[in-house]
Amino acid sequence: METTSPVERLLRGVALTLVVVFFMFPIVWIFLMSFQTNETILRIPPSVVFTPTLENYAALITGKLQTASGTLDIAFMRNLGNSVLLSVASVALALVLGVPAAYAFARHKFRGSEDIAFTLLSFRFAPPLLVLLPLTQYFQWLGLSNTYFGLIWIYQLICLPLILWIVRGYFEDISADVEYAYRIAGHSWFSTFRKIALPLAGPGIAAAGLLAFIFAWNNFVFALVLASADKQPVTVGALAFVTASGIQYGQIAAAIVLSITPTLALALYAQRYLVEGLSLGAVKG
Amino acid sequence: MYDKEKDLIGAFLRGEVDRRGLLKGLGAAGLTAGTAGTLFNMMSTQALAADFDWKAHSGKSLKLLLNKHPYADAMIANLQAFKDLTGIEVTYDVFPEDVYFDKVTAALSSSSSEYDAFMTGAYMTWTYGPAGWITDLNEWIKDPAKTNPQYGWDDFLPGVKASCAWNGQPGGALGSEDAKQWCIPWGYEQNNLSYNQEMFEKVGASVPKNLDELVATAAKLNKDVGGGVYGIGVRGSRSWATIHPGFLSGYANFGQKDLNVSEDGKLSAAMNTAESKAFHAKWVQMIQESGPKDWSTYTWYQVGTDLGAGASAMIYDADILGYFMNGGDNKMAGKLAYAPFAANPEAKAPTPNIWIWSLAMSNFAKDKDATWYFLQWASGLEHAIFGATKMDFVNPVRASVWKDEIFRERLNKSYPGYVEMHDVSAPGAKIHFTPQPLFFDLTTEWAATLQKMVAKEVPVDEGLDRLVESIDRQLAEAGLG
Repeated sequence: METTSPVERLLRGVALTLVVVFFMFPIVWIFLMSFQTNETILRIPPSVVFTPTLENYAALITGKLQTASGTLDIAFMRNLGNSVLLSVASVALALVLGVPAAYAFARHKFRGSEDIAFTLLSFRFAPPLLVLLPLTQYFQWLGLSNTYFGLIWIYQLICLPLILWIVRGYFEDISADVEYAYRIAGHSWFSTFRKIALPLAGPGIAAAGLLAFIFAWNNFVFALVLASADKQPVTVGALAFVTASGIQYGQIAAAIVLSITPTLALALYAQRYLVEGLSLGAVKG
Repeated sequence: MYDKEKDLIGAFLRGEVDRRGLLKGLGAAGLTAGTAGTLFNMMSTQALAADFDWKAHSGKSLKLLLNKHPYADAMIANLQAFKDLTGIEVTYDVFPEDVYFDKVTAALSSSSSEYDAFMTGAYMTWTYGPAGWITDLNEWIKDPAKTNPQYGWDDFLPGVKASCAWNGQPGGALGSEDAKQWCIPWGYEQNNLSYNQEMFEKVGASVPKNLDELVATAAKLNKDVGGGVYGIGVRGSRSWATIHPGFLSGYANFGQKDLNVSEDGKLSAAMNTAESKAFHAKWVQMIQESGPKDWSTYTWYQVGTDLGAGASAMIYDADILGYFMNGGDNKMAGKLAYAPFAANPEAKAPTPNIWIWSLAMSNFAKDKDATWYFLQWASGLEHAIFGATKMDFVNPVRASVWKDEIFRERLNKSYPGYVEMHDVSAPGAKIHFTPQPLFFDLTTEWAATLQKMVAKEVPVDEGLDRLVESIDRQLAEAGLG
């Protein structure tokens, strides 16, 4: 049996603390900034001692921002709502379309299956701006420009290939014999998919869904080019605090805290699925 | 009711009474500021409508693309007046400046008809104009049937107005006879000195009058103010925006140019003259001795923030950047002052290079005549006065706004030296770059060379020779040199 000396334990503890402090420092600093005014943030030298204020959060929530040039209207909460709507709807649609498709690609070898799968993956290769300018024209002709529906459709370029290719790997790792046994017992193909394949690949689907959500949430350019100001996500909206009359550091920090909260909450909730899902392929023979 | 007051406002609008007389008269009549304002707006609208059919496009609708900026805020605050005057419905999209020009480029390059008019910088029209994305506005300005006789096109500051007009020929003079008016100037920035009065007084420094004094004063402030305060803030990022403010303003003051234009219209780089090398050497020395430590990352935001927070003693940058830093919750609010700056001791006056926020009409606009109605209202005198006296629509581009006593008093009260700085600099204020399609690429390379000089990776003389060689090659490859 291995034993660890107290000195080794102490050194390990110190090393771990240093690593945690190093990686957590920017997040903690931003969190502290979100409770300060611009004046205290820009103090020379910087200090962690300050009188906390909630005015940054109040400005974001009420939509009124005080700057050197007066009161500005900001639409941060609307941007946040847009991000939630676009990301949730896009991932939901990608799951509905992508999971059955992934199952088909994993279980059924048909003519052109690899070509189709690769074509879907290739959507991830194209630089967004290359496809966005022609898409702007198509969207205008189809009446899809500046609509949530059009944006959710375009977000499939991000979500669908990701979900399809990750989930396909999980389905392939599940032994087909389990499904055959269920089919022999007289159950239909769809019932096998629903009762056997889906639950077994559940952690993988959750992990893929979470990754797709993060990618969709962080997207910037699709809504910028294809939609009006009222449909912009938080990634574009957060830039409104960088104005000609000055940078509102406090509000930027508060906006970061608010905008990472949904993703963080989702990641924490889905953590066990995520770890299980991401390591599923690694431990199976 | 209010007949006497209406007569008084009417006399003011006819030019028979000045603004001071108007306010005095309204005050004597016992009118509150709010009532007087309402009455004034109502009468202004009536006066605007007197000789021109503002309702010709009533019922139509327009959509604008705007940058998040105090100029746009001032317009939005007054937009109802335009809707009431014309009956035209106006909607708008406001995007943050960081992504604004990406949005404009995407909309124009895809021939989108979503936006009828948009905010732009004059430099950008050197790309948009020849590409056929925007409209030459001369067609409307010169048409008396479409332009209000009181519009006052001659009221615009000449250097600013000319800077928005180009004939599309690489190297063609801005504002030439055959120039197309790609945009209407809206608000503009000169580049001069904004400085911290307290810090200057503390070390006994006086305001520098030329480049040598600027280098020496910045060094003194850097050494004596203490508390980590550095002497002078100027931009330094690898971007065209590093060249266009203080740097080009000082450079042009020595009669130096970015490009030479030969008689047959060919372009060649002009940065390796003896005078240019001397200017570059002093500029580089100033940054090395008294600039911010991470100068090569400095943009508009860092230069301004440091002045406002008391981390720098002065800036040689846009005057309105200094203006903004003197208000709001900036630590140094109320402590800043302004001065014109002629880098060349032999120059008679400053020659600031300028940035102009302008209004342009999309070539894909659904109704250009109705769009012009908006453009002429937004760039008209009434809105300029409203923005300058009630909002932060500074600097106005109309001479008559700069003559407005209320506006001048407002500035003199809180922004010491600002009005004088503007008056001294305005005659020499214009875009000093040569208009040509490679503007952004070549100017960015110029900034990159400046970075290498400051980092001592290359001596000034050699760096400029290499820059000229590279620019000449690119101009030749593009068929311009």
